[in-house]
Amino acid sequence: MTATTSTRTLRVGSPKQAGGDAPRKRPLLQPRGYLWILPALVLSVGLIYYCIGYTGYISTLDWNGTAPDPTSVGAANYVKVFQDPVFWEAIQHTIISFLVTFVIQTALGILFAVLLHSKVRLGVVYKIVLFVPVVLAPAITAPVFRQIFAYDGQFNWVLTHVGLGGLAQPWLAQSSTALPVIMSITIWQWTGMTFILYYAAMGQIETEVLEAARIDGAGNIRTLVSIIWPGIRGTTIALATLSAIGALKTFDIPYLVSMGGPNFATEFLGTLIYRQSIPLGNVGYGAALSIMLLVLALIMGIFLNTRGREKKEVR
Amino acid sequence: MMFQSSVAKRRRSTLIVALGVATSLALALVGCSSSTATASGSATSGKITWWGWTPEIGVGKQYIAAFNKVYPNITVTYKQVATASYDSVIRPALASSVGPDVFNMAPGGGIGSIGSYQGSAVDLTPVVTKALGSNWKSKVAPIGPSGLTTSSGKLAALSVGSTFAGPMWINPDLFAKYNLTPPKTLDEWISTCQAFKSHGVTCFEQGAGDPGFNMDLIHAISDSIQPGLWTQASTGKAKWTNPVFVQAWTIFQKMFSNGIMQTGALGTQQYPDVNNDFLAGKTAMVMMGTWYMQYSTSAGATAAVSAAGVANAKPFPVVSIPFPDVAGKGNPAPLFGDADFGLAVNVKSKQQKAAETFVTWLATNEKAQQVVSNALNDISALTNVSPSWPDITLVDSAKQQSTLDALIKQAGTVTEPRLGAINKALGQALGVASASVAGGKATPQQALATLQATPGIG
Amino acid sequence: MFEARTRRAKVVLQIVITLLVLPFLFPLIAMVQGSLAGAGWQNYLTVLSVPELPLFFRNSAVVALGTIVIVYALTMLAAFGFSKLHIRGKEVYFWMLLAALTLPEVVLLTPLFSTTTTLNLYNTYWAVILPLAALQVPFTILLARNFMNGIPDELFDAARVDGAGTVKGFWYIILPLTRPIAAAIIVLTLIGAWNDYLLPLVFLVDPTTQTITLLPQFFVGQFSNDQTKVLASAVITAIPEIAAYLCLQRLFERGLSAGALK
Repeated sequence: MTATTSTRTLRVGSPKQAGGDAPRKRPLLQPRGYLWILPALVLSVGLIYYCIGYTGYISTLDWNGTAPDPTSVGAANYVKVFQDPVFWEAIQHTIISFLVTFVIQTALGILFAVLLHSKVRLGVVYKIVLFVPVVLAPAITAPVFRQIFAYDGQFNWVLTHVGLGGLAQPWLAQSSTALPVIMSITIWQWTGMTFILYYAAMGQIETEVLEAARIDGAGNIRTLVSIIWPGIRGTTIALATLSAIGALKTFDIPYLVSMGGPNFATEFLGTLIYRQSIPLGNVGYGAALSIMLLVLALIMGIFLNTRGREKKEVR
Repeated sequence: MMFQSSVAKRRRSTLIVALGVATSLALALVGCSSSTATASGSATSGKITWWGWTPEIGVGKQYIAAFNKVYPNITVTYKQVATASYDSVIRPALASSVGPDVFNMAPGGGIGSIGSYQGSAVDLTPVVTKALGSNWKSKVAPIGPSGLTTSSGKLAALSVGSTFAGPMWINPDLFAKYNLTPPKTLDEWISTCQAFKSHGVTCFEQGAGDPGFNMDLIHAISDSIQPGLWTQASTGKAKWTNPVFVQAWTIFQKMFSNGIMQTGALGTQQYPDVNNDFLAGKTAMVMMGTWYMQYSTSAGATAAVSAAGVANAKPFPVVSIPFPDVAGKGNPAPLFGDADFGLAVNVKSKQQKAAETFVTWLATNEKAQQVVSNALNDISALTNVSPSWPDITLVDSAKQQSTLDALIKQAGTVTEPRLGAINKALGQALGVASASVAGGKATPQQALATLQATPGIG
Repeated sequence: MFEARTRRAKVVLQIVITLLVLPFLFPLIAMVQGSLAGAGWQNYLTVLSVPELPLFFRNSAVVALGTIVIVYALTMLAAFGFSKLHIRGKEVYFWMLLAALTLPEVVLLTPLFSTTTTLNLYNTYWAVILPLAALQVPFTILLARNFMNGIPDELFDAARVDGAGTVKGFWYIILPLTRPIAAAIIVLTLIGAWNDYLLPLVFLVDPTTQTITLLPQFFVGQFSNDQTKVLASAVITAIPEIAAYLCLQRLFERGLSAGALK
């Protein structure tokens, strides 16, 4: 998304400067906008950067959050972060979770969008079913999923009744299956959003182009690959960035459904930070983890942005 | 002309945006809340708030109603905070000027830890001395003050009552239905579970995804091998690598494969999963502490069973049994505990005197302690108070009353702490060790070596 | 998009989408089913008769409305600035905002503990509204700016030539044209604010200021956890959001479709 914003800005400014006399006047004509963006900057940047600064300061302390005399420990908390095996596990889970959920959500989102643009009956009903999970808070849905994936839960019940009883297992109790369960809940929750964005983006593809392709004899799959997919490329890049940010921020679902367990199998940075800062009272260490999260997010943002931009230029 | 107009426009836009900024700032400032304060306040009147994760809201209201019969002019508002969020809620509250006047505190390094919040608590030694005399310590269960006094000697909270872990609770109806007897040894435990399994009933259920309750289980196992060693290790006087612990952890690990633990134990939480299953009659045995006594009463059991999602709730008489002698050593059944919670008075309270009146009354007044005792949630802090059975309707007093009496009597002699000797670092390390052993990620030897090497545990 | 000319193809499409949607429907059914277990509809009556319920609804509405108003106002002002006005170092400011997108609520908790208490905002709606708005604004500005980029500059310039000022242009041209994206912003902000659990839990401690997300807590005690009523309160809590989405659905989709996220 960031990639596109910058190219868009370029488009707003540069092509006009090349065309006629309007461009030269434009910078003069264009009123200054500092004051317009100021309130948003004061609130968001002010509050959030203040919090980052404060967190950075706390990350150098050995502090339980209440003691009046925290001791300064320099970079010791960061050294601890790098030595903490759970931190590395959390990073691994974040990467896996991002890749899997992004790919599946994208595939499902495009599929649903294409299907619902294909004049199926009762489209609104499907749309609502897909979007309701977006609306529901994880705090609400977590107990439902705990029940569904319990050993005597509905998921195993369905498996048994469709003749796959052999696959029934305690999904949330095993390190090997707990993370896939968490990922499937994430997919359940966010596919509606992906779908809506693709649905909207596909609405922008001109019908003439599609019809022309049909006249040329292109089938459904061919149309999807060579017209629809390129047409929604921007949305895909934006969603990749948003999913990556979402993966880094993951907290509610693993915290509420599996408590980061069993045996840290569903630990994410968010759950680790929460556990360290609040129940365990290692506020300094939690702050160091928070700063690591921010650094990772920035690296990732820059990486995705530059890659996205390169591709744009190639096109 | 153009220049002028653009300046004028700019001014206008400046004005509008400046207004926006100003309002948002003003809005931020309006938010300042002011509370009316009377410094320190009166001891017999005022409005105080009390926050805790326990007792249940209904029990809390009972306590307050009894208190108001003596002190009608002190209004107490009790707010129960969910166990999982108590620490995140209480921390900013105590830092603010509008926090609770009275708050719960617990021994050890877990929820509401004395280590974390003692800085916000008033020293209660003067008031308890005033209420019970200078020999006050002889009148209360020793387990109370021992866990709630700081290393510098400040009595940070007064224990209202204690809870103990170690026993198991059974559903006697299920045992009778399949003609089974509660297990007394590890082998009997395994065979009982096989029998229940053959009838499609869950035998024993443990929230093994919950480190705290795993600790109770392993603690009980190691106490049946060698009583007291757990506490010695917790205070650094013994090593966690001791063969006794290796044996205890091995027994614990084997429970996941020998049919004692239910399938999927590691994904289960003690609350709500295990509790709801037991109360709904799906499970024959659970390991819960003395707080389970409250389900012996008709009212307590009926409410709990219906809260477990059962329509037309019909309660069954829960009964406690001693923890099976899993190592065959013939040691007495393990029982360990501490103050369930202590009441602390917030140093920033503007109604400190009234708050002290409430805390002292609940913790030291015989009538108050009788209410606590009769609620059967906690075992009263005053040693001369015990439940008055004529006032309590049990589900089946023939089956229940004698075991309850025995349990309460045994608890009165216990000096072994459940949480009190376990600091935050140790609690965390024990949680990691039990999870890795339960999940088969480490052998007991490996896990215990890691545990012993953890800094700050003793 | 897909062409299904024959009747059979149409039926196949319909079946395919129905099968694909089933896994999404399944948890929703389990939720409603769970809320009707045990005492049946009585669960809903019990939840609806919680005396604090109207108060909680009001408080959630206050928080959601406050957040929406602030987010909408700040977003529109800033997106207009970013899209149509001259700002040196525009990209730098924009990036600073976007970086804030990456911040999870959990990270804010500790700093906010101290800030809210020193600013005396603790236990006021502002302690929830301001952080919520601050976290929402970067994303909504991104959406709104991209939407406004799609509005031709000429339209705005023409109005200015006609003598309308920047403010008037904003008020009479930009605001009406941005209604679709406003709908998207409102729905997204409503979801974020209405569902928020952590901030109200920690910063709104007075029973009179607590929000609807704490409703299930009434049925979760230290030793009890009445799942049936927890789920019934979940369903009740979700209804206003679903209603809002249904009402704004068309505008919402139009807002997102006009290149909001490309």
